[in-house]
Amino acid sequence: MAQKTTTVVIEGEMTIANVGLTREQLLEALGSGCSVEVDLSRVNEFDSAGLQLMIAARREATLHEVPLHFFGHSSAVRNVLQLCALSDQFDVAAVTAAT
Amino acid sequence: MNLDDALQLFIIEARELLEEMEEALLRVEQTPDDVETINAIFRAAHTIKGSAGLFGLDHIVAFTHIAESVLVRVRNGELKIDSPLVATFLAVRDHIGSLINLLECGAEPDDKVRHVAQQLTERLRAYVGNSLPATIQTTAPPAVQAVEAPQEDGVGTDHWHLSLRFNATVLQSGLDPLAMIGYLTSFGEIAQIVTLIELVPPLSELDPEASYLGYEIRFRTDADKAKIESAFEFVREDAQISILPPHSKIADYLRLIDEMPDDDLKLGEILVRCGTLTESELAASLNRQAGNDTAPAPKIGEVLVDQKLVQPKVVEAALDKQKQAKERSGGETGLIRVNADKLDEHINMIGELIIASAGVNLLAQQHGLPNLLEAAARLSRLVEEVRDSALTLRMVQIGATFNRFNRVVRDVSADLGKDIRLEIAGAETELDKTVVEKIGDPLTHLVRNSMDHGIEHAELRVARGKPAYGTVRLNAYHDSGSIVIEVSDDGGGLNRERILAKARERGLVKNDQHLSDQDIYNLIFEAGFSTADQVSNLSGRGVGMDVVRKNITALRGAVEIESNEGYGTTTRIRLPLTLAIIDGFLVGVSRATYVVPLDMVVECVELTADESEAAHGSDYLNLRGEVLPYIRLRQLFNVQDGDSDVLAESEDDDELALPASAASSGTALLTAEGAAALAADPELAFLLHPVKRENVVVVQYAGHRAGLVVDRLMGEFQTVIRPLGTVFGGLDGISGFTILGDGNVAMILDIPGLVRRLARHEPGRRAQLAAAAAVSD
Amino acid sequence: MVSAGMELAKPPARALAPDRTGGAAEANDLQYLTFQLGSETFAIGILAIREIIEYGALTEVPMTPPFVRGVINLRGAVVPVFDLAVRFGRAPQKTSRRTCIVIVDVAAESGVEEMGIVVDAVNEVIEIPPSEIEPPPEFGARIRGDFIKGMGKVAGKFVVLLDVNRVLSVKEVAVVAAFEQQPDAAASAL
Repeated sequence: MAQKTTTVVIEGEMTIANVGLTREQLLEALGSGCSVEVDLSRVNEFDSAGLQLMIAARREATLHEVPLHFFGHSSAVRNVLQLCALSDQFDVAAVTAAT
Repeated sequence: MNLDDALQLFIIEARELLEEMEEALLRVEQTPDDVETINAIFRAAHTIKGSAGLFGLDHIVAFTHIAESVLVRVRNGELKIDSPLVATFLAVRDHIGSLINLLECGAEPDDKVRHVAQQLTERLRAYVGNSLPATIQTTAPPAVQAVEAPQEDGVGTDHWHLSLRFNATVLQSGLDPLAMIGYLTSFGEIAQIVTLIELVPPLSELDPEASYLGYEIRFRTDADKAKIESAFEFVREDAQISILPPHSKIADYLRLIDEMPDDDLKLGEILVRCGTLTESELAASLNRQAGNDTAPAPKIGEVLVDQKLVQPKVVEAALDKQKQAKERSGGETGLIRVNADKLDEHINMIGELIIASAGVNLLAQQHGLPNLLEAAARLSRLVEEVRDSALTLRMVQIGATFNRFNRVVRDVSADLGKDIRLEIAGAETELDKTVVEKIGDPLTHLVRNSMDHGIEHAELRVARGKPAYGTVRLNAYHDSGSIVIEVSDDGGGLNRERILAKARERGLVKNDQHLSDQDIYNLIFEAGFSTADQVSNLSGRGVGMDVVRKNITALRGAVEIESNEGYGTTTRIRLPLTLAIIDGFLVGVSRATYVVPLDMVVECVELTADESEAAHGSDYLNLRGEVLPYIRLRQLFNVQDGDSDVLAESEDDDELALPASAASSGTALLTAEGAAALAADPELAFLLHPVKRENVVVVQYAGHRAGLVVDRLMGEFQTVIRPLGTVFGGLDGISGFTILGDGNVAMILDIPGLVRRLARHEPGRRAQLAAAAAVSD
Repeated sequence: MVSAGMELAKPPARALAPDRTGGAAEANDLQYLTFQLGSETFAIGILAIREIIEYGALTEVPMTPPFVRGVINLRGAVVPVFDLAVRFGRAPQKTSRRTCIVIVDVAAESGVEEMGIVVDAVNEVIEIPPSEIEPPPEFGARIRGDFIKGMGKVAGKFVVLLDVNRVLSVKEVAVVAAFEQQPDAAASAL
């Protein structure tokens, strides 16, 4: 059964500076009734607040049984996920050995 | 929760913990080997230290830390509990209490406080020897304290272990934990990191600017501890950072497990997080556990120990922690903190509900529709239940207040050099929260009085055939709508003659006045009265008892004394059970309506014309053979008929719609002069009123009975008490107002006051009669 | 039947005269409610006035001085009601169709207390500029000097501006009552 997909593109910063707006963006998508894809390729800055958003989004999705998939992780995102040993939880494709 | 709220919570919780500590300290004196009690003392200190650390309250942390170190030795069996140690720790507890008080006022410790801290610190140091460092760092590196008993081999890891927990506000302060962790990689290698994401809520509940993440890191580096700490320099105030050096002792890990936030964690995870175990080791053990065919599956703790991967002690600690986490969450769901104001608001609203329900009832009765009556009655019943349940919310047991006196008695006995024990009974007796708060001071004074003036010195007691130790007893129970609190002692009792002499000296009593024992004892409540020949430090200044009585009267209570010379004294305080809502019985006198608290009503009886007549000129009513002192409310309150609201004779000839009068006065047949003549004669005034039935409400209070003569009996009625306020506060005979179902105001009778008044006249009258009889002989 | 309440309408926003500065709050300062006690007109600053209600459903309280008319139920609160005429030393007021109760805020040690006063009739709200207010007369005033804040000149006549906090000073109006002595209890001890 084909399900419609909503794609969310996060532009630029995914940090404490704009965390409120980004949260709204994600919430809207999660509530849209479709499965959600989040494009992280254009994220050029990523911090703890951004990381928490991703974790919380995953929680929310699981709670409401909405398929959620992150893709295109930019290097900013990948580095943080690696540092925190969370890569495998957030759909990072097989990564080369940690630096 | 902002910082202020969190701090307030910390203060409240710290005080509760200090209370627990005190109770445990007093208990442990009797049972010095009881492990549970020792643990309780330790836990209290430890928790305070941890929480204080979160707020950066260095001085509290430092001081509590030393105390904790001593307690650890006690816990390990290195130190024995004896009286001096308990005394020291009581002083420690008091000092921490002062620090908390200072924190609350935002004040700095003054020289006196610092001096106390210094003295205590030295005393404590004596217990732990020189192994304590002179200064304590906030980020307590456990490895530096050598206060543990000699340990077995340390844990195998040769890495540093970092445990990072950040305050929720750390991101808002402009700091980012990730940056700090990144910095670590510049001088070392993160062998393993576990990011704790359990506390992150779903996106819809997330506060995007708050921080929810924690980290457990295994870190390899050649750098020293200072360098590692420097990574977290800016965040020290906003976080709890634990850094354990390589080859740390097991005890350090035990402590770390203890300090971890209380999540309901799986044991394996806990051990991984604490770095004792690697994930791979855990995975291997889990496999082995799963592979075990013998049911039931061995607990993961057992498997790990079996494989010699983990020291047994550490597993035990982790299991304990898990159990604690489970217990605490169970306990937490059982209780919630409620703002006291909200509770009062709630009860006020229920009061309005009661008035409204009464109004509905009234209307239903007026309309007489059976369905409506039934519905209204059902509503009343439900409202009553809600009221009762709301009132119980305000009720607390008096036991907590009583228990505080254990400490008071201990300290005061020491000061006086007397051996005095405290007995407590009726601790489960419940009373209103506000009353409990305000009864503490009067009780303290009474207890001190008993100890100082009541209980004699040991030699005298033995000479009197009493045990050398004295006993003070606190008791509480319910009695017909009141709560009674007794403070008694088995001391020397009150000296009747001395009191009388002193009173005569002060002119409080005339020389020929006849006083009952009760009256004489009550004299000690007069201001400035003290028969103590020597004003002791504690309570002999004579300023106390009148204040005690005033405090109790302010709570609408009463206090009386019973004493037996040579045997002891009992002071009995009576307080109303509920302050806000009462069940009342409505009575009418002419046009006025009064409320009698229902729990003081014994019965209502119609007064026959004969009985009524016979009663005139006498103070007693002969009610079916029972002799009852009585009051005619009409006379007492000087109730007039129809003298208010004179109709105007204005030019417009307007009429005024007065509220319908429930009673007709029946004076239509008399002339104005005739009526006036009758009204003027107190004995005959009653003739003005139609020969209606009069009724007597028999009331009881504190063992005394009295009759209230009224016109009408109007039934039971739930009612909300409205205070008299500043304007009417001085009225005698009335204790409050209330609003009836029809919106009119009624007055609540002060039954205790009325009964007391009657009771007081009795001995006087009897004495008079006796005197009169003697004279006429 | 709870007394019907009629809230005093907020004073209309007035255009400020050019020589005055300040906002609406000052305008309130200058406004007074005038009312009748018998043939005399009195006034009270409207900042102290809470509401005006119909006269009725008054419950008498026993053993109170004559200037205490009783209490009323004001939306669940029990408020004392006073007879100003008696307080001023005159005969008690007689009630008519125009009689009302004015609820005022009185400053007391315990905070602000609500009290009611019986008035024969309520007139209107007028504005009296400070320039039109003269100090209370040295003598000859028909009521106690300290009850008077000032004498306002309105349309050529004088209106007595009352100081409610004095007129209804809790210290003075608070009731301290003792029971009527029962005839045969006269000689009781204590």
